[in-house]
This record gives sequence, C-alpha cells and structure tokens, in this order.
Amino acid sequence: MGDVLVNDKYETFVGLEIHIHLLTESKMFCGCKANYGDEPNTNVCPVCLGYPGVLPTVNERAMEMGYVVARALNCRLSRKTYFERKNYFYPDMPKNYQISQFQEPVGVEGYMDFEFGDEIKRIRIHDVHLEEDAGKMIHAGDMSLQDFNRAGYPLLEIVTEPDLKSGEETEAFLRAFRRTVRYLGVCDGNMDEGSMKCDANISINLPGAGLGTKVELKNMNSPRFVRRGLQYEAQRQASVLDEGGKLIQETRLWNENRDITESMRTKEMANDYRYFPEPDMPPFCPDDAFMAAVEEAQVELPLTRKHKLMRKYSLSSEQAEFIHDEKGNADYFERVLALGAEAQSVYTWLSSDVQKELNLLNMTLTRSPLSAERFAELLRLMEEGQISGKIAKQVLIDVFEENEDPSRIVEKKGLSQISDPAAIARIIDKVLGENEQVVQAVREGEQKQKGFLVGQIMKETGGRAAPALVQKILSEKLS
Amino acid sequence: MKDLEGWKKVLTDQDRAKKYREYITGWEKKIGSLLEWKLPEPGKYRDDGSPLSAVPFAVKDNIAVEGFKLTCGSKILEYVKAPYTATGVKNLQDSGAWVMGKTNLDEFGMGSSTDNSALQKTNNPYDTSRVAGGSSGGSAAAVAAGIVPFALGTDTGGSVRQPAGFCGIYGLKPTYGVVSRYGLTAYASSLEVCGVCARTVDTTRSVFHAMRGLDEMDQTTIDFETVSSGVKTVGVLKVEDGSLSAEVAASYETSIARLKKLGYEVREISIPAMDYVVPAYYTIATAEASANLARFNGMRYGLSPIFAESPEDLMRYSRNMGFGEEVKTRILLGTFVLRSGFQDQYYVRAQKIRTLIRQELDEIFAECDVIMLPLFPTAPFHHGQSELTSFQQKQADVYTCLANMTGSPGLAVPSSLEKGLPVGVQFMAPPCGEERLFSVAEELEKVFPAPRPAGYSEEWRS
Repeated sequence: MGDVLVNDKYETFVGLEIHIHLLTESKMFCGCKANYGDEPNTNVCPVCLGYPGVLPTVNERAMEMGYVVARALNCRLSRKTYFERKNYFYPDMPKNYQISQFQEPVGVEGYMDFEFGDEIKRIRIHDVHLEEDAGKMIHAGDMSLQDFNRAGYPLLEIVTEPDLKSGEETEAFLRAFRRTVRYLGVCDGNMDEGSMKCDANISINLPGAGLGTKVELKNMNSPRFVRRGLQYEAQRQASVLDEGGKLIQETRLWNENRDITESMRTKEMANDYRYFPEPDMPPFCPDDAFMAAVEEAQVELPLTRKHKLMRKYSLSSEQAEFIHDEKGNADYFERVLALGAEAQSVYTWLSSDVQKELNLLNMTLTRSPLSAERFAELLRLMEEGQISGKIAKQVLIDVFEENEDPSRIVEKKGLSQISDPAAIARIIDKVLGENEQVVQAVREGEQKQKGFLVGQIMKETGGRAAPALVQKILSEKLS
Repeated sequence: MKDLEGWKKVLTDQDRAKKYREYITGWEKKIGSLLEWKLPEPGKYRDDGSPLSAVPFAVKDNIAVEGFKLTCGSKILEYVKAPYTATGVKNLQDSGAWVMGKTNLDEFGMGSSTDNSALQKTNNPYDTSRVAGGSSGGSAAAVAAGIVPFALGTDTGGSVRQPAGFCGIYGLKPTYGVVSRYGLTAYASSLEVCGVCARTVDTTRSVFHAMRGLDEMDQTTIDFETVSSGVKTVGVLKVEDGSLSAEVAASYETSIARLKKLGYEVREISIPAMDYVVPAYYTIATAEASANLARFNGMRYGLSPIFAESPEDLMRYSRNMGFGEEVKTRILLGTFVLRSGFQDQYYVRAQKIRTLIRQELDEIFAECDVIMLPLFPTAPFHHGQSELTSFQQKQADVYTCLANMTGSPGLAVPSSLEKGLPVGVQFMAPPCGEERLFSVAEELEKVFPAPRPAGYSEEWRS
C-alpha cells in the first residue's frame, strides 16, 4: 500500500499518544535502578514486584522532568497534581493496576509548533502525564517467562489533540517531537529500542463534517511505520466508506511484515479502567523552588534554534536543519563560530569531512576527539595560510586518530606551509637545475610544461610550499 | 509498666520459656489464635532494660514480618513468605520487642468474626462456641488469653476495636498516617491503619509510642502533633433506635454512669450523617479493595495452578481458587461502584458523605474533648451466620467505621461482663488526640480493669 495518496474526498484526523521513558537513575515509585536491559529480574524489589503491603513513593526527579516537558510544550502546569489507579489485568503488570494520572496531570492544554514542508504547523497538546511502565513477557516454546526490570520504569505520556492531517505530517511531527525531548535531555527518543513509543488514533470524514469514527492504531515502532500505518489506515477507511460500509470503533495493530493494519479488539471488548485517586500518595504541590528549577531546565527549542541559525549565520534551511538536529551539534557549531571561525566553512567541513570521519569511527561529534577548540584551531591554521586545505584534511584525520591538537600535529609532523620566498626560491632553483630541458621548452613557449615544474616543486616540499608564492617566483625565474 | 515487666523473663529464662510454651499450647487448643509461632532459643535473648525489651508480641498475619509467612488468612497467600518487615513492627523490634507469632484474621481483614479466615478457626477465650470478633480476632484472643501482653492488628472499619471489645481488652486504632502502613497488606488504603490490642492502657500507650513515626516508605505518614491531653467534656452518642442488644445497652448505661461518677461533664450528642456512614464506608472500602487485591494473581507468588493455557487463564484460575466468598463479594462490589458512568452515583458521593461526616465530627470536637459511642450492637455472637448474617455484620460496623472515615483515633475499652461475656465501649478523639483517649481509659481502668477468662494465668511467668 505504501505511499498511495489518500482519497482526497475525505479529511483525515490523527491524534497521538506518545510514551517516553524518562532518563532517571531510579524507577518511578521505588529505589530500583532504571535499567531494563540488565540481566532479567535483577533491578526489582518488593515494591516494583507488587508484594503485599508495599507502598509507592514518588521519584521527584521524574516529577521534575514531567513538568519540564509540559512547560516546553506550553502546557498549563498543575499546582496540585496527583496520581490515580488505572485498573486492568495484564500478566506483566505486577499490581494489575497502573499508577497513572487522569483528572489532574502535570500539564494540560499546550501546543507544539513544527515545520512541515514550508509551513509551521501548530499541534495542540491535550495533556502531559506521568505513569509507570509494566514488565515484559517472553514467550519461549510452551513457556512464558517474565522480566520485571522494566516494571515501574518512569513513563511520560503526551496526548495530542487530533490535529494532524496525514501520515506524512505525523511523521514530521514525531521527528520534531523526538528532537524536542532530546533537546530537553529527558529521553533519548529511541523508537526502535522502545524508549519512545507512539500509538495513534485516526478517523476520516467528509470535509466539514468533523471527526469520524475513531480507530486506534498500535505497534508502530518507528516514525516511518507511523506514517505508513496511518497512510494504510486512512486508505482502508476511505475504501470502507466508498463502498457504503460503516466504520467501527476498534483498536488495530500495524503489521510491519505485511504492511497492513489488523483488528485487535473492538470497543465492546475495551477495558473500563475504573480510575480513582491513588490513596497511597498525597497530591504533589510544586513549590516555588521546584517551579524555578523547571524554568531553569528550559532550553532553546529546536525550531527556534533552527531559525536563529538561519538568521544569525545566514545558513540555508537545509544547512540549519542539519546543524540543529542534535542540540549538542548546534551548541558545538555556535561554539566554533564564537572561537572565530566562519559559518559557511564550519558547515562545509561538518557536513562533509568531519561527518565522514564520524561515520567511519561510529562516533558522535560531541564525544569525538575533535573538540570545538581543536576544530576552530584547524580552521584558523588554514585561514592564516599555515597549512593548505589539503594538509588540513590530513590533520583532521590525525586529530581523530591521535587525539591531539592540530597545531601540535602540524608541528610534530612538520606540516606547516613554507611561505619564506627565499626558501621557495632555493627549491625552485634546485628543481629548475634538475629539469633543464623542460625549462628550455617553457621558455620557448610551451606553457603547459610549467604545470609539471609546479608539481615537482610541490613534491619536493611535501605539498607544503605556499602555492601562490610558488607561482609568482617560478614565473619570475622563467621570464 | 508493671504489665510488661512480668513478661520479660519468658524469653530469657529457660524454665519460664518452657512454661510459656506449655501455656501457649494449652490455650491454642481451645482458641486457635495463632497461625504460626516460635520462641527464641533460650538464653539467646537479652533484656537491655528498656520498657519493651525482651517482651514477646504477636502480629496479625496481614502485616509483613521477615522470617514469617504473610498469609492474610487466605488460600491465595497460604505459603507466601514475607520478604521484608513492616515499619511499625520494625520500630517495635528496634525497641527490643520480639515477634513470637502471627495471628489469625478474616481473609484480608474482611469480616467481623475471623470466621472468614480460610486457614483456621479462632474462638472467643470466654466461650469457644462464640467468635472472637474480627478481623483482628486472633490478635485480640491471644492478648485476652494472656498468650502475649500485646498484639498488632489492623483497623479498616473497626477490625482492632471490635474484637478487642469481644475479648475484653483494649484496642487502639491510631490516627490515620501516624503509624506507617508500609508492610500492611492493603485492603482499603485510605481507611486503614496498624493498631494495638493490649491488656492495659499503659501497654497500649507504650506500644503506640514505639510504633509511630514518619516513614519514608509511606508518603501518607504525618508528623504526630499531639493535641492537649486533658479531658473534661465527654460527648456521649445518644442511641435510641433500638439497635443495641439488651446486654450492650446495659453495658453502655454502666459506662455513662461511670463517667459521671468520675466527674466528667457528660454531654449528649448526635451525628446525623451516621445514617449514611455504612454504605459510604463500604463503597470506598470495596472500591479500594478491588484494586488492592488485583495484584494477587498467581503470577509472581502465591497459589496458582500447575498448568494454564495462557497467562490470562492462570490469573483467572488462581483468583477463583484462592479467594474466599466474602473477598470475592467485596471485589465485585468495588468493581461495580467504580464502573465508568456510575462513579458519581457511588464513589464520588461516598467521598462527599465522608467530608460531611468529618465536618459534623469537627463541630462536635469543638465542644467535646472526646466522644463515647458503642462499639458493636451485640455481645460476642456464635460462629456462623445464625445470629448475625453477613449483611447484618456489615451494618453493625456503623459505630466503628466512623473513625476510619474521618481518620480520627478510636479506642475500645472494656466496660463490663454481661452473662459472662465481655462487652466494650468506644472512645474517639480528634486526630492526634490519642493521649486524651488514654487519659479517660486509664480512669475507667481503675474502676473496671480488663477481665480475665477462665484459664487465664500469670503465675507461670511470675
């Protein structure tokens, strides 16, 4: 089905429920390490295993991260937030209720802006709430095994209004959202590893008729699958309506092997979650110091950053897109510029030679040996004519391999440019002496042979001779 | 402290330890109060001189104590061992007291007779054909029989006070949040608290002081700020609807007369919202229970079938086999009242009633230092439902569940023996007013101390 255009007779409405794993040291309601990749059932205790008599205690760091995200998404922040129990039976869920939020989440009624094509779109955020994750079940033959390392892991759920209009737009939004939580440092946003998950609800209707019958879509493990799942589903719903059929409210799963959605359960089979306030924890009332910390944790968000990069450094949209994708890279970029480098040159190097080296070594820029200071130094050496562009590329590789400052490498390897006219003249004299026939030919008008002489001179200096000076002195000597 | 002094040698002295064993065994054949018990190896235990040091006590089997099982009186947890110790118990252990055993209870604390235990029958020490009350029936019976000087219970709607009354001892339900609930197997989280069954007011007070305190494992614990302990005015609930049995009514009159004789200013009070307290209480209690008991599904611990087709089936079988009828009834009730679309009619309304009751009691406590009210409409009844049906037993919680709805402390005080059976009365104070309760109870104790059932003896340990 792939990228078939949706029947444009209908309007599409997509809303998302995004879950992110918060990057906290410990779990949401107990002191266990929040590290679910460890040996199964090693990060567990009576609390997260749901033993009789245990009580939850809230992780304040997770609470803070929840508020930080809600604030960044322009939500109205709750001054008295509380947890509730969401009741349903699930073999992986130790208590058979999930501690979540319902009536009074950390934030409500926000919005997020993102770029889609040339447009800035605004998606309304219904709410941002905290909850705990369940464990994991592994089916092995006729046995089912359980791992509770993930049980009680802090989750933040972000619920959007059904403001997205297509699979493509949703994919763009998700990428922008992922970038935002990474900028805030609260989640690594890794969808294939499950630290970010996304369920969607989608309905279609005739233009102007409002929302249609809602279908929930699950099991889409990347922004790409979200797009394809939604595209398929919009098309499927359109076909049903076109054929005079009726849509039913249901939950469907994206089957990535077959590229289709499949019905999982209908509305009649849906759980009644029987929410009620969690009696084991008092409401959380953030004080001024807490709110100040939330404010303190705010960063310049990706979209603002991108536009700033374009405005301040005259980058094109594509260039800024590349630079701002990771906050660390954008910070790095600006730091190199602050050290005196020129924007276009920095961009060119970052997007080509540096990127190539990073890919080769499987590194990220901010953790590579090429610190902003070293990078700025390398560019300065080139700018000042101490090394040529060609040598600079070699020095760059050496910085990665030897983890040393460019100036040190240049000095150690004797790579600095020869720009003393007398020294160059001496070398030229030597080359001319060794190639008398060629010199004769050039003097007789065969200018093409001059290139050969330049090559010989550069070879003699290991490429270090300042090219302009070589040209100038050689011409003088040959005339 | 005299009461506790007499107990200090039963763990440290080899000869007395032997007699202790015999005494326990003798009583247990008659009353079955303990599900599990053990004594330390002679000589292993030392008395460091502090009040609770080297004193044995028993703990209701829905409170976690490492080294013991944690059955909750249920088949579903029959073989489950506690992996940790409850904070209240830990505090007592830190004071030197020794957990000698775990007491029987109505399954998960749901009942007023201990007949709902799936594991054992517990009898009233005064008449073994009758119940010891519940749900902390094992704790109350063990204390009344002189097996331990005190025992811990839990009180969700009267589960410490009512059996204390039935067994002729003191039973304290502390202010909500003053004693940590960490380690108390939750039935109705917003209502319940760990309490004390003891033979004397002094012991009750000592244990309460040792148990309480802020706990980082329980975020609902509060800092105890005691209210003034002086008591001049006692509000006495007027009961004229004929709901009290003749014995209880007579005993209640005796208590009123005693208060007057002791010089208290007795003031008649009424609590109009009390008409709604039982339905509101059961709405909240069962709603919370339906969630609290969901964790028992045979997946991680507890009873489960040896084979199931799917995890879902395993959960279904485990719960069906593991829970008793009363527990299933309450889970279903709780599920019913929380259904979407019906919360306003039940759960939310019950919470409004709770607020209303709190306001009425606040008004009363502005006038009275403490209030007195009955504990239970009848004296200890016979086993089974011939005298009081399961429904009538719930209605009978009306006087005790009041304190759970408001969070106030409540104390059961022995008031008389009627036809050889103990009858108690209840005092309530505003939150953190425990000292007021002890003050009145101590005055009454001088007039009528806790009675002794036939077979009770202190000689073996003197």
